Amino acid sequence: MSLLYSLARALDRFSPAPVAYAHCDIPCGIYDPHHAQMAAHTVVRMIDLINQLEKPGPNATPEQRQEYNAKLARYVFVKEQHAEIAKSEVRILWGDYFKPDHLKTFPDLHDLVWKALKSGSKARQEINLQAAEDLLKATNDIASIYWKTKGLETMTVKAPYPTERQTVYPKFR
Amino acid sequence: MRPTLEPGDYVLVNRWAYRVRRPRRGDLVVVRDPELSDRFLVKRVSETEASTQIPLEGDNAAVSRDSRAFGAVPLDRIVGKVWLRLKP
Repeated sequence: MSLLYSLARALDRFSPAPVAYAHCDIPCGIYDPHHAQMAAHTVVRMIDLINQLEKPGPNATPEQRQEYNAKLARYVFVKEQHAEIAKSEVRILWGDYFKPDHLKTFPDLHDLVWKALKSGSKARQEINLQAAEDLLKATNDIASIYWKTKGLETMTVKAPYPTERQTVYPKFR
Repeated sequence: MRPTLEPGDYVLVNRWAYRVRRPRRGDLVVVRDPELSDRFLVKRVSETEASTQIPLEGDNAAVSRDSRAFGAVPLDRIVGKVWLRLKP
């Protein structure tokens, strides 16, 4: 790290300089609720995998414990990561895509986003299948609203993933 | 503004640069966002005309919101010229 940069950073901490943006939000118009739904499926799947994992008994060898710990750590890591992805995707739709007009047609949108974020946090913090199911349901409900704003009907079918939960898809003509 | 600037780089701005001369094509400047005046942008001067309106562009034209979106910027909206870029 250059000396001048370190100096600038120290000054910035002492007396923060205003931020100049070199790149701003481009309203690119490209949104899809599927990211949030997929991330919610992953959270459900990770909780299923955690619950299926055989816990090491009192006579387990160190290797068995190590294997259990390694698997548990991986599932927990991915569960937390994807709960955060789901929350982030919901926030993007909410903050960038949905407009006041949409809210007039779908007045429960704010409440739905609130539920998605709350259940997402809970599913991240705990090994809680119900929270993950709630997150998935909220992302499905948001997807349903999203596709309606695009003038498309939706269908609710069993997802082609191991989670096999009901999932909202658009009916493209 | 990659690769000129990366997120987190510091820029030192000369606020007096344009009291003595006009912005020149290629100058890196800090400007008040014409659409949101309490925020600052870093852009490059794209042409110099003998007017008080300065057209600005981002280095990555395909993804930049610049004078194509908000028009040329009045000279008095330009805070100053980037004098030093500091990278980690």
